Amino acid sequence: MVGPIASLSQLNRADGSASYKCPATGYSILGAVNAPIELPARRDALKPEEATVEVFVKPGTTTAGVGERYAEGILRSALGKIVLGREKGFPRRGLVITLTIVGGENVERGDSYLTILPALLHAALLAMVSASVPLSMTFSATLLGVTKSGDIVRDPSPTAAKAAVSLHAFAFSSKNHLLLNESVGRFEFDTWELVRERALSICQGATTSTDGDVTMGEGTASASLNGFIRETVEDQIYSDYAYKLDSI
Amino acid sequence: MRPARAKWPKKESISDPRAGAVRPPSTMSKEAQLSIAERDFILEALREDLRLDGRQHDDYRPLDISFGEEYGHVKLQLGKTHIIVRISAEVTKPREDRPFDGLFNINLELSAMGSPAWENGRTNDIEAYATNTLDRIIRHSNALDTESLCILKGVSCWAIRADVHIVDYDGNITDAACIAIMAGLQHFRRPDAVVRDGRVIVYGVEQRVPVALNITHKPLSVTFNTFNDSKHVIVDATLKEEQAAEGDLVIGINSAGDICYLSKYAGAPADAMAIVNKTNVAWEKVKEINAAVDKVLQADLAKRAKIGMADESRAENDRLIQIE
Amino acid sequence: MSAPLVLLPSDEVPKDHLPTNSSNPLRLGPGLRILSQPSSKGTNHVLTATQAGLLTTDAKRNTVSLLSFPNRRYIPTVNDFVIAQIHHSSVDFFHCMVTPHTAHALLGQLSFEGASKKTRPMLKQGELVYARVQSVGLGAGAEVELTCVNPATGKADGGLGPLTAGMVFDVSTGMAARLIRASSSSAENTDAIDGLVVLSELGKKLESLGGFEIAVGRNGKVWVDCSNAAESAVKVTIAIGRCLQETDQQNLHTHDQKKLVTKILRDMKLVS
Repeated sequence: MVGPIASLSQLNRADGSASYKCPATGYSILGAVNAPIELPARRDALKPEEATVEVFVKPGTTTAGVGERYAEGILRSALGKIVLGREKGFPRRGLVITLTIVGGENVERGDSYLTILPALLHAALLAMVSASVPLSMTFSATLLGVTKSGDIVRDPSPTAAKAAVSLHAFAFSSKNHLLLNESVGRFEFDTWELVRERALSICQGATTSTDGDVTMGEGTASASLNGFIRETVEDQIYSDYAYKLDSI
Repeated sequence: MRPARAKWPKKESISDPRAGAVRPPSTMSKEAQLSIAERDFILEALREDLRLDGRQHDDYRPLDISFGEEYGHVKLQLGKTHIIVRISAEVTKPREDRPFDGLFNINLELSAMGSPAWENGRTNDIEAYATNTLDRIIRHSNALDTESLCILKGVSCWAIRADVHIVDYDGNITDAACIAIMAGLQHFRRPDAVVRDGRVIVYGVEQRVPVALNITHKPLSVTFNTFNDSKHVIVDATLKEEQAAEGDLVIGINSAGDICYLSKYAGAPADAMAIVNKTNVAWEKVKEINAAVDKVLQADLAKRAKIGMADESRAENDRLIQIE
Repeated sequence: MSAPLVLLPSDEVPKDHLPTNSSNPLRLGPGLRILSQPSSKGTNHVLTATQAGLLTTDAKRNTVSLLSFPNRRYIPTVNDFVIAQIHHSSVDFFHCMVTPHTAHALLGQLSFEGASKKTRPMLKQGELVYARVQSVGLGAGAEVELTCVNPATGKADGGLGPLTAGMVFDVSTGMAARLIRASSSSAENTDAIDGLVVLSELGKKLESLGGFEIAVGRNGKVWVDCSNAAESAVKVTIAIGRCLQETDQQNLHTHDQKKLVTKILRDMKLVS
């Protein structure tokens, strides 16, 4: 299976930016973060002692609609949990995250937005890291589909996602907290538990499950998603500070 | 349907600013103002025929175009201005008054990604101005032949949509977006559709080779900015140069030299001869850029042809999408 | 020192990476925070990262800090030198822009060397000052205050005050920090400081043309003035700006910086 592709800080105007592409689902996202900045019309935010997190999802070939607004709400609450909005320079300021869907099929009206959530979350996280937004932790996210025969499929393609009985999007923090848990379709609680374990092993690469069949491979061969996020960030730091590292 | 050289300048010229024209942004949105030192220096340097990045007055910044996996997905970089254009097509009903015409729309929505000065979900004057200019140069000059988008008279037609994403903004989005849209329209392939027994059948890309759009001509815009009472005129201004400028002159022109758009909204009055001269400069630029776009386009299509042959051997199942 | 270590948010700073100098209290730079772990091993403190960056320590000053991405937005910190742009003035203050799209910082009308009600500078909108961050306030909505005098001496140390003529170039905040370290080190030092030789190289090559004056703001702005160069002043200024910006954007190594300086000066016909 082809792993995701990501890079950091490719834009000039935004304070931080990142691109994330998931070859399995075909989605390619460009994320930009501006922070901390003044939010014009919201000077008296509900929580003046914290930063206000704003998320904007821009579809590639249509005008944004209810689907995007729904995804923005999910992203805002998931990302808001890890942003340290009280650090210096952030209270009462805005953290504006803009995510453009630059590749892949459109999420059509009525289709589930879950399929694209993991890619959006990763692009947003990497862009926030690139903008040096203070965070309590990082995370990684994955999408799993359960087929009619009960198989669990990782990162199903849009066609496979449509055919799936249920879809589950999970995000786990670098400290193993469950940050995001969204599901659609019909499923038993036992199925959900299996899917959760599989998702955790994809994100962490840790073989937490005792069932060897479920977690086989992902922990070692194709590396964990958390490891992927770490490598992407490290690569950018190493290249940015090449001048410093050469002299050591 | 080619725009006539004589017809268009008269209709769209300075003498008639009422024709649905949108005024250029008087204040550059909420972009941070230029300091006095910067403004004075840019003007002083132009007096010595110098620009901050070492370009000549009629040089464009390095232009880099590449295509994504999908047809009509263009990534364009003009210096530090970075634009992504995606072309898409869907079957729809034609307008009642134009039963033989398909639809074509250019959609430009600025987001905070391009510049922190742009607020998400809120339109600003740069957006309105750029959309209007692009519409007039590409749409109104009929660069994309909309009649060829008709599938069944009055019943169904193709709606082609160009979505322009300004991802990084450092001036001159009009020219950059124009190049990217035209490249995208030439690169795009729509699914094939036929009418059988009064029913429209759209073939999947796996079943029939998708069809290129019918491009009648390739107009591009060339934006000039004027300084020091129109004494100094430059092309492809950066954001700082735009902010220091007193006015702009936009010329829409194709490789054959047909002018399809001309606007000069602000700044000191320009001499008619000067505009004629600039038109020649613009023509040269458009020929150069179109040739560059062509080269990238051919290279990409050749690459796809190679992959396509490999794919053909493992053709997918027939899948018909039927539309009433 | 051990191998370079990159931390991500929530990563702990390993104990063996902390400086061992115990005469001074340990000081934390940006991007790090203390989390106490009350349950385990008594009152042991854990240092964790809140940003991604390269861990650096200074044994002499007993500090540990995290170098995060150089393209980030500047956040005002006390004692930083910044180049601020006047936006408007009120009775007591000049309201200045330090970074775009953030609240204005305040600069007292009398916070200039030898300024009194009669002698204070009359600054207009769009003029620039070289200022120091005096305070950033506490809590939400706190205002940033700037000053153009050293409060201890009442003097405009380090070239503080209005910047007239010249040109300002934008660079990344990381580059600005490096430039400040490079230009504040001893004048005759030709070695690379923080991997930067571009300034000393430009200084050497432009000496015959009268040299240049430079002021670096931590907010990612560099002011350059070459009025000594007479008729080639504009050219020299542009050359310096291009050298700085290209070094920054392409993250050039020291030998490439030298090549760049030679190339640009030749392109602009400043040296043969």
